[in-house]
Parts: sequence; C-alpha cells; structure tokens
Amino acid sequence: MAERIKEHPILGDIKKGEPVKFTFDGKEVMGYEGEPIAAALKAAGLMVHRYTKKEHKPRGIFCAIGRCTDCVMVVDGVPNVRTCITPLTAGMEVKTQYGVSDKPFEEQ
Amino acid sequence: MKRYDLIVVGAGPSGLSAAIEAAKKGLKVVVFDENEKPGGQLFKQIHKFFGSKEHRAKVRGFVIGQQLLDEADEAGVKVVLNATVIGLYQDKEVVVKLGGEVVHYKGDAVIIATGAAENMVTFPGWTLPGVIGAGAAQTMMNLHGVLPGKRVLMLGSGNVGLVVSFQLEQCGCEVVALVDAAPRVGGYGVHAAKVARTGVPFYLSHTIVEAEGDECVTGVTIAEVDSSFKFIPGTEKHFDVDTICLAVGLSPMSQLLKMAGCKMEDNPKRGGQVPISDSYGQTSVPGIFVAGDVSGIEEASSAMIEGRMAGNVAAEYLGYIEKDALKEELDTLDKALDGLRQGMFAPSNRGKLIEKTDEGIEVSQSLLKNGYIADEEIERFPGVVRKVGVHPVIECTQNIPCNPCQDACKKGCISIGKNITSLPIVVDGSECINCGMCVANCSGQAIFLVDEDKGDGSAEITLPYEFLPLPEEGTKGFGLGRDGKVVCEAVVTKCRSSKAFDKTHLLTIKVPKEYAMKARFFKVS
Amino acid sequence: MNSVNDRTRDIGPFVPGPDDDMLICRCEEITKGEIRQAVHDGMWTLTEIRRYLRTGMGLCQGQTCSKLVKGIVARELGVSPAELEPATSRVPMRPIEMRVFANEADSNKEGE
Repeated sequence: MAERIKEHPILGDIKKGEPVKFTFDGKEVMGYEGEPIAAALKAAGLMVHRYTKKEHKPRGIFCAIGRCTDCVMVVDGVPNVRTCITPLTAGMEVKTQYGVSDKPFEEQ
Repeated sequence: MKRYDLIVVGAGPSGLSAAIEAAKKGLKVVVFDENEKPGGQLFKQIHKFFGSKEHRAKVRGFVIGQQLLDEADEAGVKVVLNATVIGLYQDKEVVVKLGGEVVHYKGDAVIIATGAAENMVTFPGWTLPGVIGAGAAQTMMNLHGVLPGKRVLMLGSGNVGLVVSFQLEQCGCEVVALVDAAPRVGGYGVHAAKVARTGVPFYLSHTIVEAEGDECVTGVTIAEVDSSFKFIPGTEKHFDVDTICLAVGLSPMSQLLKMAGCKMEDNPKRGGQVPISDSYGQTSVPGIFVAGDVSGIEEASSAMIEGRMAGNVAAEYLGYIEKDALKEELDTLDKALDGLRQGMFAPSNRGKLIEKTDEGIEVSQSLLKNGYIADEEIERFPGVVRKVGVHPVIECTQNIPCNPCQDACKKGCISIGKNITSLPIVVDGSECINCGMCVANCSGQAIFLVDEDKGDGSAEITLPYEFLPLPEEGTKGFGLGRDGKVVCEAVVTKCRSSKAFDKTHLLTIKVPKEYAMKARFFKVS
Repeated sequence: MNSVNDRTRDIGPFVPGPDDDMLICRCEEITKGEIRQAVHDGMWTLTEIRRYLRTGMGLCQGQTCSKLVKGIVARELGVSPAELEPATSRVPMRPIEMRVFANEADSNKEGE
C-alpha cells in the first residue's frame, strides 16, 4: 500500500536512524530506529492499529501528531500508546489493540 | 517551585519568536513544547513563503524553521521538549508533564503560543484507516519520508489543501481530485493553479458522500451540493482511492487560556474560541499573552511577527525595557504585520466575495471555480503581455502580499511598486536576459519565460519544476494547459538547476508557437 | 438571560434524522443521534453533554469532536454555536497516566 519516499525533490534524502527489526502481532517488520512506530507500520502497508471497544471498528493514523489518539496500540505490553509520536526501537513488540487489550474480542 | 521571568508554551514559529525577543531583552525564558522536536509545523512546510524580504519571502518553511532555531540558540533560549503543559492556573502557575513526573513552574509572565488544531468533517466511513488529516499527510511525507498513500482525494481548497495536494504530488502520490463544498477555491489562486496544471481536477460545490472500505479506505464517492449544502441526487462521482485527506480549516487551541481565567470569545473570523486580547497579545489577565494561531488563525509568517510583539510586550511588562523602546520595536513589527494583512486574503476580507482586483481588473472566475485561469481570461492581467524575444509572463492575478519577483529581476523587467499587494507588471522597454531568477523566485510558481516565436514555427516556454525525476534534454512529452489537459506535443530543450534557484528547476520546453500562451506544464509521454 | 439558559424555551420534540448513526466522538464512540437525543433529555450545555454521554471525555480529551458536538447541540437548540459556552477547561489538558499525574516532582529537587 504505502511506501517510503526514495528521493524527495525538495528535501533530498530524508535522514533516518539505523534499520531495526520489530514485531507487529508477532510478525517481524523492518523500520528505522527513532521514527514513529506509526511511520514504520505505514511504510510496511499496515493500516489498522486497533479495533474500538464498543463497535469493534478499525482505526489507524488520523492526526499523526499525538492529538487524536486514534493510532494507539499495545506496545511492549502497554496499551493506549500513541504510535504516531512514540519512537521505534529495536525489538519492540507492537500489537493490535482490541478495546484496551491485545487479545482479540472473542478471547476477552 | 522554579521561577522564570517568562514561560512560553509552544515552540512553533510564534513561541520561538517570542522567546527570542524576550531573551534578547535579558529575560530568563523557558519554552515548553510537547513534541519531540521544536519548530511546530514549520518543518513540514516545504514551499517557498510569500511576503517580502523582511518576512523571509521565497525561503522555504523548513529553512525558516532552522533559522529560527539557530536564532533561539544564539539568544540563549532554553527549549524543553517532550514537555506537555497540562495546566495553567490563574497566578501563572504552569503545570508540566516531564517524563514520569508532574512539575510546577511559576512564570512572572506567560506567553501561550499553542497554535491550532485541525477541524474535521464527518461522513459515513470517516473513521476508517486511510482517512487522515492534511497535517498527518504532511507529517508522514515531509518529516518521516513515508508516502501517506498512493491515490489520494483531498477535501478542502484552502491554502492547506492546495499546498498539501502539491506536496503529495511532489513525493509521488496521485491526487485524483480536490474537493470543496464551497463554491469557490478558498486559498491563493497561484497555489490552486500550480496544482491544477499538473492535472488534478477540482470539484467545487462538492463534498464527500461516503468513504468506502471494510478495514481501510478503498474508495470514495463525492457529489455536488446546492447552495444550502444539500447533495444533489444524480451528481455522484466515484474514485478508487486509498487515502482521503481532510483539510477543512483550523481551530485555535486555546483551552489553557480559558483555564487561566482569560476572557474568551467565539470569533468565527479568528477561527473559533480565542482569548480577547489587544493587538500585541495582552489578554484580560495581566502578564498572560498570546501569539500565533491560538489568538486567531493566520499563517506562520504573521505568527512569527506576533510572537516578536508578545516577547517585547512581556519584556516591557516586567520592566526589562522602557515604554519608548517598546514603542520603537512595535512600530517596526506593526509595519511588517500590516504588510502581510493586506490584499484579497487579508483577515478583514475573510468571507467576502471580491470581484475585482485593486487595479479594477475582473478576478478570474475560472480560477475560483476550477483552480485555473481560462485561456480567454489570462491576457487581461498586467503581468501577461506579448513581446518579441524571451520575456516573463507573470500569471499572478490576485492581490496578495508578495514581492520577491520584483527583487529577483536584476534588469528591472518586473515591477510591483510600493504597494506589496499590487499585481506585478512587465516593465515597458525592459530587456529580459532569460536568467530565470523570476521563475525560480516566485513563491507561487506563477512566472514563465516565454519566447513566443523562435522563427521555426515553435515557441519556448520555461516553467518552474519541482518534481523528480528531472526530464533530460530531448525528452519528448506533452505540453499541458493551465487546466492540466494535454494541449500539444512538447520536447524538453533545457533543464536548469542552480543553488540560487533553491530546488525549483527551470524546465524549458519547445512547443508549436500557437501554444506559447497555453502550455504551462510538461508531462513525459 | 440568553436563549441557551432559558430552560422554559420549547425546542420541540426529538425528530430522528437520517444521519443519526454518524459517529461524532471517535474515542467514546458517541453518535450524532445520541447527542441530539441528549439535548432533548435536557442537556443544553456542553458540560452537561460531556457528563451525560462522555463526549470529549475519552483519550483525546475532545481534540477532534468538541467543535462537532458544539455544532450539533447548537443546531438542536436553534442557536449559533458561538452562543454556547465551551465545556470547562481543566487539568490535565492531555492524556496522562494516573501514576504520572499523581507523581508530583519534589519541589526542592528540580524537574529539569
């Protein structure tokens, strides 16, 4: 779906940290250290960050600056982490958030 | 509790500017910002700014951001990042979340420069992943180098919608439509024109009926609306898109001021709930000041001036400068701000329908309805003249506060005159040397160099080009009209790049001479 | 007294609308219909609506929906949004974990 910009006509090469591995729902994904978790997910084409508590509807990035809290996920066991402003580190365990849990609704 | 002379909340253009001025006057200043990096939204702005030299016109936003950070460093301003201000009590006690702690500070003066938040609109499917704010798109592509999507529909024809659409195209996304419920384009005509000429269709008086998709956006339907914004049945249009971008205005983030007991008002001209303040940012609570978008939605250029005003007023409030010195500072800043607040898009003209320019020329209706000036309208503007040999064609048709083109031409071919909002004219008898500085320096990308008749039945057009890859000499393709539609065959004869052009490349194309005044963009075949 | 405070005013019955199921508050998942109904239940101020429905009380603290809710309530009451007093602003302005909120820095030892 989405991908990274290779060379930007105005910004040139956009500086990135070291490439690192992290997991999304247990699957290995590549990203760059220090970029927001949400950016790494988006670059990997992963759109759905969570399913809402009441209606179980999918949500993803909306404001990308930490205001709307729609992009929250369970990160290293902590729920409600705003992935658009939380820097990625190597080995992070990022999980889809169902309500406020990382367990799908049928298992809750 | 730690005390500061001045606490500034927000390290964006206005907050930093305020802190710089205050620090220069000797105040002990701290700036708190909740983000990881300072600069607010400036580092996402990659277009050249409008204005004149004193407003840093023709400099790109992110460069201005860096200049501001350097200036803050020099002035000894302390910026604390990842510092979320969670409260402001009446006696100027500022509560900040720092790491895992809550810390209280006391400011003898406080400047609130928290900026604005994006407005949103609702439609079925608006919560689907893939529906994002225009700010999110800018953040993803310009800060993090990630494409927001491949096929994007933009809702909103204000400057944000127009500028972000162009940015999306610059990083390789396809903008399939630019949609606005309003009957007229809201932003600068030059911003609209540079988007339209690349082939983005504008749908004014249209809005989103529905976003489609189960897990994320896969498509969107728009429809025309009548004058009371009701959908007109049968006008639906469908697009396959993976992203819907919302650029429907901004609202001041003024909650801290309300909490601090400042008198507030709901002022639609300022974008919503704002503190009642004088023209230098003094609120109803002595010692609490505001600057930038939080006091009324404008632009980064004016926010920086407002910040400098507030910084100086705070310095005088605490006795660091005398009244006379303050007046001197404010007089200069007043002039600079007045310069920006003129013209058709001035805050005082918000919501007004302007039919004629200051020069008495009818405004292009096609520009307002379609995003581009129609061929039959273009020659009534003073920057568009026919001449023998290479000459500038200036398609700048609205009174906006901007004048770098006049300084760019060392030969004096372009004149705006004393009034910064006047339409640029091509000076009679002047001699163009084809240097291209005007093309590269026009923040609106509205200047072209045209040689209408090369003597062999062809014409040459030099146009601003900010896309990759750069077409090489000899590349064959098509000349696109102002409406973005193919008008003729074209071949690239030259592509000039230079440090002085600041990433705006000058593409020269050869077209049949009857298209000299029609072709305004190039597409590789 | 302005018309918002005049509780004797008749705002008419609740009339279901075609877009009542439109989600307005994204965090707490409150629909337009629920907000409109709340007005007819007697919640005429934004603060009351917040307490009654929890609009703007979720993680984002009303960043996205407060303007939308204001518009809907104003329309239901037949007043302009500018006439409605916004909901109270209070600490904390941003989502914050309770353990952090309760962790006041030692005022003798400086935080930064």
